[in-house]
Amino acid sequence: MKAIFISYNKALSERVMETLDRLHARGFTRWEDIQGRGSFDGEPHYGNHAWPSVNVAVLTIVADNKVKPILDELRYIDHQAPQHGLRAFVWDITEKM
Amino acid sequence: MKLYETAVRKPISTILIFIGVLIIGGFSLRNLAIDMYPDMDIPYLSVITTYTGANATDIETNITRVLEDNLNTVDNLKKLTSTSSDEMSMITLQMEWGADLDQAANDIRDVIGRISSALPDEADDPILFKFSSSMMPVMVLSATADESYAGLYKLLDDKMVNVLNRIDGVGSVSLFGEPVREIQVNVDPVKLEAYNLTVEQIGQIIANENSNIPSGTLEIGNNQFNVKADGEFNSSDDLKDIVISNYNGRTIMLEDVAEIKDTIEKMTIDERINGKRGVRVLIQKQSGANSVAIVKDVTAELENIKETLPNDVKIDVVMDSSESIVDSINSLEETVMFAFLFVIIVVLFFLGRWRATFIICLTIPISLITAFIYLYGTGSTLNIISLSSLSIAIGMVVDDAIVVLENITKHIERGSTPREAAIYATNEVWLAVIATTLVVVAVFLPLTMVSGMAGIMFRELGWIVTIVICVSTLAAITLTPMLSSLMLKAETKHQYKGLGIIFKPIDKFLDKLDEGYAKLLAWTVRHRLLVICSTFVLFFASLGVFMAGFIPIEFMPTSDTSIITMNVQLQQNLNVDYTVKTARKIDSIINVKYPEIYLLSTSTGESSNSQSRMLSSDAASYAINYTMRLVKPHERERSMFLISDLLRQDLDQIPEVRQYTVTPGGNRGGSVGGISTISLKVFGQDLNQTNDVALYLKDKISQLSTTRDVQLSRDDMRPEYNIVFDREKLALYGLNSTTVATAIRNRLNGLTASLYREDGDEYDIIVRYAEPFRTSFEDIENITVYGSEGQPIKVKDVATITEEFAPPIIERENRQRQVSVEISLGDGVALGTAVQEINDKVLADYQIPDGVYLEMGGSVEDQQDSFSDLTTLLVLIILLVYIVMATQFESLLMPFIIMLTIVPAFTGVIVALWATNTPLSLIALLGAIMLVGIVVKNGIVMVDYTNLLRERGSAINQAVIASGKSRLRPVLMTSLTTILGMVPLAIGTGEGSEIWQPMGIAIIGGLTFSTFLTLLLVPCLYSVFVGSGLKKEKKAINKKRKEEKRKRNEFQEAKALK
Repeated sequence: MKAIFISYNKALSERVMETLDRLHARGFTRWEDIQGRGSFDGEPHYGNHAWPSVNVAVLTIVADNKVKPILDELRYIDHQAPQHGLRAFVWDITEKM
Repeated sequence: MKLYETAVRKPISTILIFIGVLIIGGFSLRNLAIDMYPDMDIPYLSVITTYTGANATDIETNITRVLEDNLNTVDNLKKLTSTSSDEMSMITLQMEWGADLDQAANDIRDVIGRISSALPDEADDPILFKFSSSMMPVMVLSATADESYAGLYKLLDDKMVNVLNRIDGVGSVSLFGEPVREIQVNVDPVKLEAYNLTVEQIGQIIANENSNIPSGTLEIGNNQFNVKADGEFNSSDDLKDIVISNYNGRTIMLEDVAEIKDTIEKMTIDERINGKRGVRVLIQKQSGANSVAIVKDVTAELENIKETLPNDVKIDVVMDSSESIVDSINSLEETVMFAFLFVIIVVLFFLGRWRATFIICLTIPISLITAFIYLYGTGSTLNIISLSSLSIAIGMVVDDAIVVLENITKHIERGSTPREAAIYATNEVWLAVIATTLVVVAVFLPLTMVSGMAGIMFRELGWIVTIVICVSTLAAITLTPMLSSLMLKAETKHQYKGLGIIFKPIDKFLDKLDEGYAKLLAWTVRHRLLVICSTFVLFFASLGVFMAGFIPIEFMPTSDTSIITMNVQLQQNLNVDYTVKTARKIDSIINVKYPEIYLLSTSTGESSNSQSRMLSSDAASYAINYTMRLVKPHERERSMFLISDLLRQDLDQIPEVRQYTVTPGGNRGGSVGGISTISLKVFGQDLNQTNDVALYLKDKISQLSTTRDVQLSRDDMRPEYNIVFDREKLALYGLNSTTVATAIRNRLNGLTASLYREDGDEYDIIVRYAEPFRTSFEDIENITVYGSEGQPIKVKDVATITEEFAPPIIERENRQRQVSVEISLGDGVALGTAVQEINDKVLADYQIPDGVYLEMGGSVEDQQDSFSDLTTLLVLIILLVYIVMATQFESLLMPFIIMLTIVPAFTGVIVALWATNTPLSLIALLGAIMLVGIVVKNGIVMVDYTNLLRERGSAINQAVIASGKSRLRPVLMTSLTTILGMVPLAIGTGEGSEIWQPMGIAIIGGLTFSTFLTLLLVPCLYSVFVGSGLKKEKKAINKKRKEEKRKRNEFQEAKALK
């Protein structure tokens, strides 16, 4: 089991959620309207006057074999709209209840 | 879910809701009536009191003053004027515009009821008279005839008046100048005296002979028959054979002592249409009816009527109140369409995309159509104010949609799908869009609160623009994102396919423009003080131009309505026959010299009909009233103002003309759109003194080059014959003054003995002295009356006849006596210019006598009132706009920077007015006020984006330049849509469009000037003000740091000491 943390521009919400649905990643936790800033470049997402865009974060725990297709899809979305900002991070799940 | 999100997610609902709005709007438009102005009650009420036998001074003391003192307390009273003349007092209460006139009328009735006991017993009860726009004729027709002239009255009465009266909305149809048949019994006084008869006796005999009397019933056997005695004359010839007396055994017939004529009554008025004798038909509407609809129906019905009339009867239209309405509305509709077209072109030019242009321009019809719903809902009409409001709004309604669509396109370029872009891009700008709309609302909503006449005119404008702009904002954040999500393509670069190839050079040009502007901006920011100073130097220079009087001041722009009315007065006491000769002389001059005039209606003398007397107070036996209709302005070279001036020169050449008034546009006194007049009022108790002052002023003012038709409101004294009875002698013969006066009246004016009936119509039978016996002063003296014992007495035995001058009328304003000098203006003379000339050349070195003071009135008064109203409004609007912006930026400095862009806008207004030689009128001033809202929008866009860049971390100058470069297109686009939207209004080709021309010119001038200067001035001001603020901040921070450092050092030192 892997945890995928996806942080993206709110404008990409529909596409990200549609990807998860399509790849049968049923369970997730989502935070709407959050702030964030990339480590290298890209615009900050602060939801204020200067930086009006905001982020959404999704944490989904999926089987190991689903990680690659999901990341591939996300990479494709990021490639289509590179300026929006879309990042995903994966780490292991050691236990669950 | 947010509104815009719902709209994007539910496209069907959104589209259907807007289609619903369109349907309701279309329905409203179909049912809207057309009119010239919004419905406005003329705020005048009159109280008329008659008091038989009293002269002007008595009337003034006993009636006018008593009433005035009490009426003065009525609420909302603006001005109280009165005219006291022989036997009549007329008090006019001018109420505040927009006051409740029904309430005022009730108050006035209360006052009259309360004080009627204080009025003289013999005076009649005061009558309250309410003016109404329905009193003005909606249409005046003329009927001319050759052979049928004698029977014209009956023809028209049967076949026209009755038919027209049946039309819906027609209040009344009246005929003037019609030849009326009467049976004249012209007696010879010498014969009458020989037979010991009097006019009254003959009248009595005729009345007794001319009657039908039912004489009861007769039963013969089982049958019953009615018996009647038909004595009525079957023909007018029957009169001749009436036996009036037996003298020495001889039977005297009526024809022995009198000449009997079945003829038409002696004309007191001579109506000519293009030189032919004719009848004038006046059509009045019912109160609240729509003029345009009535005229349309009447015109249609006239075609049918013409067929029933004999061939030689010709019907022409002398005045058609709907014509100018329809023309103005048509030309304004054209203006709106052109404005729409220009806006589309501008949007397409900048965006280069058909779909985007379609989405933006769709907000125009949707938001404009809501104006029709508003008009229909409030019961208003499609008038020049409402239509002009639309053409003013048209350039502004696309602004919000442009901002929203621009951001959506930006999101798509970044890789969003159109649907995502529509939602999230709108999310980013919707608050800013609402804020800029609030600024515009802050300008237009206060317009609905203006008082006075300006308020009536601008209320509708304020509401319409406010509603339309609000709806356009609503459409911009719902319909625009929804349509964008469906229609915009995800492609980011323009493909220049097909017709799109033409956008390639445009795009290149715009890119170059961006670059060039950025370079210019970099230069200006380095020379910012120079730019700021030169802007203000320009402003003060233009202010100087204005102050020096290069721009004349005017109340309302005048427009060439192709109609001239003219009142010409000859020496008083001239009779109609003489006046008619002069009228023909003037007619022939007009016919020869002015081919532009295609219809010349001349009315000489005054009608015997009392109703028409009320309508035309200028009519008199020695006066000629003209109505001239000119061909359309574009079909002639000379304007109606020039023709009026030339007419005045012609009248000056005619020696018998005493005074005249030529009124281009008709309707003297200048209500909305009429020509301006000045009345210089001379207040003072002493009638002779004020007369002298007024005459002196009249003399001086008529010598000025700017003034025309200078007249006094108090006419010259008029000579009259007065019969003064010797009561002792009267009593001696058993007579009294009334019997003798009535006898004189019966012989001169005639006695209506009876009515002759023919075909259901009745004609007067008039008995009086034959004309040769009533032509001189002595004829009155020689009239014989009979004493109580039947002895003949001549009038000269009991009375003396003296020639007198009738006392003048006494006019008062706000309870003080006044006489006014009425002044018209020459061709192309602005009101302000004339006022200044009068002040400088006449009043400056005139020593006003004690007890007299002067006041300017007429249009000047209205102009000053309205200008001060609008100036207050300007201040109010500037404050409101400042407040709206300050809350938006949460700063006091930013709105200040933006508001400074109003300065070059005013420079632009002055330059544009000056360059086009347009006077500053109420309408131009209104344009200047609207500019406040329009120009700050540009400033907001610039400053907002500069702030954003600064917050993102740019240095001030960098931020200023980058934001300028990025905002150049939106600023140019919104400004150009507004400017080009105004162009049709400013060119003003249609009839009546001249009224809005100054507004168009003012807005175009101001906005063009301010846009170009805003693009340079705002960055400079921003860099100066924010920069200096930053320096102060830095200084403060440095100081704080030093302080901190000092404290730390102290702490370290203290620690070291330990």
